[in-house]
Amino acid sequence: MSVRALVRTFSELCVTVGALIVLFVVYVLFWTGVKADSAMDDQIDRLQDRWAQDSAPTGADGGGDAVEAAPKKPGPYKDGEPFAVMYIPRFGFTWNKPVLQGTGTDVLKKGLGHYASTARLGQPGNFAVAGHRRTYGDPFKDFPRLRPNDPVVLTDGTTWFTYRVARKPHKTVPGDIGVIDPVPRRSGFDGPGRYLTLTTCEPEWGRSHRLVVWAHLDATQPVDAGKPEALRR
Amino acid sequence: MYGWIWRHLPGNAWVRALISLVLVFAVVYLLFQYVFPWAEPLLPFNDVTVDGQ
Repeated sequence: MSVRALVRTFSELCVTVGALIVLFVVYVLFWTGVKADSAMDDQIDRLQDRWAQDSAPTGADGGGDAVEAAPKKPGPYKDGEPFAVMYIPRFGFTWNKPVLQGTGTDVLKKGLGHYASTARLGQPGNFAVAGHRRTYGDPFKDFPRLRPNDPVVLTDGTTWFTYRVARKPHKTVPGDIGVIDPVPRRSGFDGPGRYLTLTTCEPEWGRSHRLVVWAHLDATQPVDAGKPEALRR
Repeated sequence: MYGWIWRHLPGNAWVRALISLVLVFAVVYLLFQYVFPWAEPLLPFNDVTVDGQ
């Protein structure tokens, strides 16, 4: 094999590797976002379909059945299934993301993930949710902009829950599991209550730390009563 | 490498160019559909929880 052929093959390899890297960057920065946006819209559509189905029969049959149907308890959250939609006006008026059960890698590709070991939405304890800061639609891109008293609104199809952020985002280490305790450690909350914890990565593109925001339940209202004040323009 | 592929494609220059284009798209599709989704979790952007999951 001549020197010429060697040099040519080597440069072709370099060009190929370069093209691969550029393609991979395009994939991570752009394509995961495209995929995640459509997956999240899909999850929200599925939720709204389910909620529409749940509420339809009560109006249709009425009579004696309605009394039995009224105290219907919501079922347990199914792993990997959406059960709520989150709105954070600070991230933009159109910002809304589905919340799915579980925090596995595949779940977080489709929306925000609820820590399965923590409380249910709106219940006493700590409702903890994790989300991507970068890639997969950048749901928590503006996480550091959250400020005390910012509303975090969630709905499970029957009730609006308005949480209020307690303090500026807190930086911690990856193993600091106490931040999702029923009374989160270092949050400033000193007794049992209905809390919300959001976690994401810190620094923006890294894995060395986590950013945490705590909030407490401020108000609830039935969906029939219209949007909560925090979401009205 | 690329010269070798080009020489082994059938047809005249136009047909070869067309086949090359199809090959390029096929490779990009395979990368985006299978290779990159496998490689992406090895990067640190997925670690957003505090319980190590």
